[in-house]
Amino acid sequence: MAVSVRKSAPGRDAASAPARHRRAARSRRRLRERATIAAFLLPALVLFAALVLLPVVFALYTSLFRWGGFGWPDEFVGLDNFVRLFQDEVFLGDLWRGFVLIALSVCVQLPFALAMAVLLNQRLRGRAFYRLLFFAPYVLSEVITGVLFTMIFAPDSGLADHIMDAVGLGGLGIGWFASSSTVLPTVFLVMTWKYFGFHMILYLAGLQSIPKDVLEAASIDGAGAWQRFRYVTLPLLGPTIRISAFLSVIGAIQLFDLIWVTTAGGPVHSSETMAVTMFQFGFKRYQVGYASAISVVMFLISFVFALFYQRYVLRRDLEGAVTSMRGRR
Amino acid sequence: MTPTTAPSSAVRLRSRLRGLSMHAIIWVVGAMIVVPLLYALVSGFKSTSELSGNPFGLPRQWVTANYTELLASGTFWRQVANSTVIALATMLVTVAVSALAAYVFARFAFRGREVVFTLFAIGLMFPFAVAILPLFILLRTFGLLDNPLGVILPQAAFGLPMTVIVLRGFFRNVPAELEEAAIIDGCSAFGFFWRILLPMARPALATVSVLAIVTSWNNFFLPLLVFTQPDWWTIPVGVQQFQGQYAQDTARILAYVVLAMAPALAFYTVAERQLIGGLTAGATKG
Amino acid sequence: MGTAPLSRRTFLAAAGLAGLSAPLLSACGGSDGSSGKTIEWWNIATTDPGKTLWPQAVKEYQAAHPGVTIKQNPMENDAYKSKMTAQTASGKLPDLFHTWGGGVLKQQVDAGLVRDITDDVKPWIGNLSPIARQAYEFDGKTYAIPYDIGMVGFWYNKAHFDKAKIDKPPATWAEFLEDVRKLKAAGITPIALGGKEKWPGHYYWAYLAIRVGGVAAVQEASKTNDFTTDPFVQAGRHLKELVDLQPFQNGFLGASYSSTDGQAAQMGNGKTAMELMGQWAPSVQRDMGEGIGDDLGFFPFPAVEGGSGAVTEVFGGGGGNAVGRDGPDIAIDFLKFFASVDNDRKRVASGGYLPIAKGAESALTDPNLRTVWETLNKATGFQQFFDQAFPPAVGQEVNDQVAALIAGKAAPEQVAQAVTQAAKGQ
Repeated sequence: MAVSVRKSAPGRDAASAPARHRRAARSRRRLRERATIAAFLLPALVLFAALVLLPVVFALYTSLFRWGGFGWPDEFVGLDNFVRLFQDEVFLGDLWRGFVLIALSVCVQLPFALAMAVLLNQRLRGRAFYRLLFFAPYVLSEVITGVLFTMIFAPDSGLADHIMDAVGLGGLGIGWFASSSTVLPTVFLVMTWKYFGFHMILYLAGLQSIPKDVLEAASIDGAGAWQRFRYVTLPLLGPTIRISAFLSVIGAIQLFDLIWVTTAGGPVHSSETMAVTMFQFGFKRYQVGYASAISVVMFLISFVFALFYQRYVLRRDLEGAVTSMRGRR
Repeated sequence: MTPTTAPSSAVRLRSRLRGLSMHAIIWVVGAMIVVPLLYALVSGFKSTSELSGNPFGLPRQWVTANYTELLASGTFWRQVANSTVIALATMLVTVAVSALAAYVFARFAFRGREVVFTLFAIGLMFPFAVAILPLFILLRTFGLLDNPLGVILPQAAFGLPMTVIVLRGFFRNVPAELEEAAIIDGCSAFGFFWRILLPMARPALATVSVLAIVTSWNNFFLPLLVFTQPDWWTIPVGVQQFQGQYAQDTARILAYVVLAMAPALAFYTVAERQLIGGLTAGATKG
Repeated sequence: MGTAPLSRRTFLAAAGLAGLSAPLLSACGGSDGSSGKTIEWWNIATTDPGKTLWPQAVKEYQAAHPGVTIKQNPMENDAYKSKMTAQTASGKLPDLFHTWGGGVLKQQVDAGLVRDITDDVKPWIGNLSPIARQAYEFDGKTYAIPYDIGMVGFWYNKAHFDKAKIDKPPATWAEFLEDVRKLKAAGITPIALGGKEKWPGHYYWAYLAIRVGGVAAVQEASKTNDFTTDPFVQAGRHLKELVDLQPFQNGFLGASYSSTDGQAAQMGNGKTAMELMGQWAPSVQRDMGEGIGDDLGFFPFPAVEGGSGAVTEVFGGGGGNAVGRDGPDIAIDFLKFFASVDNDRKRVASGGYLPIAKGAESALTDPNLRTVWETLNKATGFQQFFDQAFPPAVGQEVNDQVAALIAGKAAPEQVAQAVTQAAKGQ
């Protein structure tokens, strides 16, 4: 969704032949250009329209029907599904839990990732290895991660409970995935395990692009380590942090595989997300119209958030990117 | 030691202490990452009955059967092959189609360009889950169930937005003079694209390829719904089914989890630079 | 970005595409897969004894019928349900597929996706037990053939009962609660429950409703869609009495039925005193744990004081196979073979199933399963599992609400109301 930078196509206004000639040549060229554009764009458009837009529009359409998934939807109910949705305690709970996960991600996971990035940005033996290690969970699938952690957090017999016993905290009797009060923090723990390395890598790249002399200059001016971080590093890292926060939020809104494998949303909805609720209604209760309404709301939330973010938060970064690109040319 | 070096040794001590505490933090975090993986690896060598009594220690008796039986069974290899074929094909389709489109978006001005591009960008906001049911009906209509294309094509379609955005950013940075020169030399648009732009964009292409492979490799629901016959199951589907089937045999499941992770981790160590390089480039550029 | 022109043009383009899909959708189905000699069979036989017995039966059938291929496709229970939903929505079901009957099958039948096999099976279906057939018959028509039938009851560990000085199984709900207290006092976890999967929990609520109001009350509610009547509210209250005693194992809300330390393993490894489960319980206990051998006993769900339901009214269900709309005759022929006395004896002998064919009961050697079988045969009323008998949306709501009640998150009245709302919304 970046702003258009180049307004003119390359390769124009090259020759200075007689006007008629030029016009004919230009129109021929324009024709060829159009053909090129069409030919190059067509595969992407067809693929995208058929397999992304069409299903999504279909979901939008069915969200206006009471439809069990059999035959063609024919019982039009207008916005009833949406009205019902916003009276549904489980769905409202989904919104709240989504918010909690986002807040935890942005306020805990990202600062943690940033701290680790700052640490790994120091001259340190084995730095490359740690970077490799911390990022590794990111490449594992959520399903495999989920299966692994289900076993680790298994009540009584899992590794987590054995560790708690070993350090003398067994008496706390933390239920991990099995208790309504601890399930969300536990899920968040697994999310952090899997994703903090990803954000750390982003920050590391940002840190490495900060010119050394700026920091040195601050240091000469008598700024301490914390001041250097707070007043030089952090502002310069702004664009990276905003992108990473954006990705984190979108990821939390759409969280599904991990939850599905570990808790299936339980106990008693306490770890259910919008995507899980949607799946429950679509694939377990045969209320596809209602499920579609959930997916539409999910999309709208992501979309509005993205628009808002683009408009008010990311704009400065894009402008920066554009000017730096011009400078490079 | 002479008195003159005394202050510097104090500084050195302090910096050594700092270094130590830094290492300590990193080790703790590193342990958090490694312990679950190591636990799975070692537990795979135990019998399930030993596992409950002896969760931490090394196996009293190294049982290799969990691993060797899986490796010898053929199912596991079949799934690795399926995942590989599907990931590679997804990558090829995604990158080829996106590169063509990104080229047009980056280097041609035409009416509606931004509209179409925005449409693609909005695609980033579509969760896969939103489309899964209609997608399934569509695939069934086209007869693509139990057919690898039924997974490859939708994955490619959902991978388009990200790839197009990254590649467009890269293509844009190629100086216009180069294209002008190429055209004067008699290069067609495709010739320029194929012989000059793509080779120049190799690092960006490597990155989006690796991303496409990783995403495809980890996908779960689409292959689960599309493939009814185990012949085409991919690794995540296989792991989940395996967990259902051998629910009581924790050690065996952990062995399977380890084997399922191995290809991804191996691939990661090889392609680490492309993956990390591309992610960071994408993020710092926006 | 140009929002206004974008939204309109996109919408128009998209609307056109959506219109396109209509004829495509109606064109699907009916063209492939029914060539006759190869049939696809989807089932859930991923654990033993089914995992061994099913392929064995297929092999024997194929040997006797050269040229016929039966492609088996066993799936894990939960994955199977998801997949069947998608499949149902797409308008075509496999040639042969597992079903629990009841509301789910009814919806598929109403959508015209299941073959009516009434006339094909008329000559031989008389050999099968009527109670087993019940879940697959609607309006006098047959849509599937059972391979198993059974009922839910309490499985208990006699050694634990002895230790807690309980001399005989409880006959009433009050006695039952008293025994739970005794077990707790003796330091024994009274009940194992797989709370994560929800369906094991719904057995309690369902049985209590049946004991308070009888099977008739449930049948009535499924017609009127009103679950706020006395039996259901009472059921919730009685269940809450039990929950308040905290009778379940540590971490039961996150436990599955069949997994390491799941409900079955808890019983099978002798860690808990009781579980409320169907006829398959002993075999799963052995599969997931060590099994407790002769210590295992069975007693029917106790009567509720003042309730109009008799102890002889039972709650349960089985499993069967249905034929897809375009499934060939050979699929029905295979079902006949699969339901034959010989095959049924093999299943019964494995200890995981109860007989559905007349004459197969002689293979029933396990004394506990014999008890179950006899109780079932003397039953004065039969109610199928709620999550199968009712339409899926209602069944799932029952599971969800009862799980909330067991977790202490919903009051008995709320449960009844929410289920009613789901039923009325159908």
